[in-house]
Amino acid sequence: MITSAVADGAASPEAGPVVEASGLRKAFGSVVAVAGVSLSLASGRIYGILGPNGSGKTTLLRLLLGLARPDAGVATVLGRRIPSTEVLAQIGYLPQGEGLYPDLTVWEQLRFIATLYGPWDPDRATAALELVGLTGLEGHGVAALSGGQRRRLSLACALVHAPRLLVLDEPTVGVDPALRVQFWAHFRRLARDGVTILVSSHVMDEADRCDELLFLRGGRLIAQGTPGELRASAGTADLEEAFLRLAGEGLEGSGG
Amino acid sequence: MSLRRTLAVAQRVIAQIRHDHRTLALMFVAPVVIVALLAWILRDQAGAGFRLALVAPSPAAGILTQRIATEDPAVAVVTAGSSAEARQLVREGDADAALVVAANGGSPTVTIVTAGVDPAGEAGRVARLQGILASSLPALLPPGVAAGLPRIARATLFLPPEADPLDALAPVFLGYLAYFLVFVLTGISFLRERIGGTLERLLATPVRRLEIVLGYVLGFGFFASLQTLLLTLFVLAKVTVPALGPVPSFVIGLDVPSRGSPLLAYAVALILAAGAVNLGVFLSTYARTELQILQFIPVVIIPQGLLSGIFWPVDHLPTLLQPVARVMPLTYAVDALRAVMVRGEGLDVGQIQLDVAVLVAIAILFVGLAATTIRREVA
Repeated sequence: MITSAVADGAASPEAGPVVEASGLRKAFGSVVAVAGVSLSLASGRIYGILGPNGSGKTTLLRLLLGLARPDAGVATVLGRRIPSTEVLAQIGYLPQGEGLYPDLTVWEQLRFIATLYGPWDPDRATAALELVGLTGLEGHGVAALSGGQRRRLSLACALVHAPRLLVLDEPTVGVDPALRVQFWAHFRRLARDGVTILVSSHVMDEADRCDELLFLRGGRLIAQGTPGELRASAGTADLEEAFLRLAGEGLEGSGG
Repeated sequence: MSLRRTLAVAQRVIAQIRHDHRTLALMFVAPVVIVALLAWILRDQAGAGFRLALVAPSPAAGILTQRIATEDPAVAVVTAGSSAEARQLVREGDADAALVVAANGGSPTVTIVTAGVDPAGEAGRVARLQGILASSLPALLPPGVAAGLPRIARATLFLPPEADPLDALAPVFLGYLAYFLVFVLTGISFLRERIGGTLERLLATPVRRLEIVLGYVLGFGFFASLQTLLLTLFVLAKVTVPALGPVPSFVIGLDVPSRGSPLLAYAVALILAAGAVNLGVFLSTYARTELQILQFIPVVIIPQGLLSGIFWPVDHLPTLLQPVARVMPLTYAVDALRAVMVRGEGLDVGQIQLDVAVLVAIAILFVGLAATTIRREVA
């Protein structure tokens, strides 16, 4: 699929939504993690899912990937109903946990994940390692890496097959500020090439880098819009403040 | 199904174990040491001598002492004055058995006395003494009577009469060891995959459940095949290393006789090991920690070791236990391994065909069961 680069943040009119969900709901026992979420994500944009711990961010991402089965609602990704193995080939996923094998080397770890997506291409792996700043550590054991290095390797694994949709669950946890800037620059480059990026975070200073934000609280989507729009509607210049105000209204609006 | 993805999983499993030197040692050094130890215990015991307290009237005592010296020189004879003295020697551990011949007029009584603390060992000694007595009879009896006595000869169809217990045990013990180790290693590996977050990542890739399970079978099968090869060579081979400088000549290998095709036995052991991989993946669903995987050993591994015919033939088990043995995969592997290695039978024999078919069916059944336990919904 050819996607036009959309610099101003508007969805390209000819392409349908990359991710579409309606009425997604998931409960674990009596705990409702996601309480009826509908959303539509266009290609080439960076979406931030923001919310406090336990607001359902990870569960929502897992529902969109087909890693969890919804109790109600449907999700469609890249035109296919989830769960779909074919769609997974086009998604890069960075789970919240490390998801790495401590007894492999950096190169073996990357090679394994890459081979699950397609024929092995060492150049792509080299590029992915360079991007996350792990060049030169190919032969090192994963267990010997620092926490931040493991997080970066994990990100390289999500990027190595050049996915069209990137789902990142708190990608910059444990990553130092300089590298964080590099990551975001790369995310922006990918988005310009038509990749849709869905990032969960509870760090508000990262939110400003997204094209559009989805505020999640108690498993519900309480607000959605560009950072500017959300600030304007909450009547504050501070996103954190905006989130808290909108969260308060959301709770009142939901009828308690 | 993608061969590329299946091989990727296999390659990863192999790389993981290759980096883990302790696991490598567990797979390749430990089984050889265990089998060597078993061989040492069984063989040295079979040839072990014992002390016999002998009480017999005049001509008989001399004849028996002489027969023992020629037939079973490992038996050391201690002459005792009376039955009471002989019993005292046994009681105090100065003799391992006593042979008391009492001349009750025309029909003498022969009593074999043992301590009664080690039934298996004592039964072995009693059997040896009975053999000596039987062959001494012609010399003990008056010439006319002796001529009419039948001679007792022994012949065997498969292993030679002088075979030791190891010759029947080693071929099947190999299969058991491989089964045990492969089960524990896959169980723990797959449990780590489930709890370490890597399965979550795997399931977000296009890899299919069956590809994961078959990748594990290939990866662990690779090590199982090397392990079984090494053990088979060790059990069957006899390599004499010539003396070199101060190092004296020594023998590597147990030199266990094999009548059938070692290749067929090898194939049987591998099918069994494939089943163990699937069982490990399957049971890892029901464990939350590595310790809980180890808890499956007394539930799954030990009963199979006791009931599958490694030590006692399944037909000799209590009637209630026989059906239990017949649902265990190891039973069919033991039957096939023994038929091939001890009886020298091949794939043309119906029973071996059945054994192999059952093992293949069990392996396939557990591939399916293992694959169904890998849910997309894990965390």
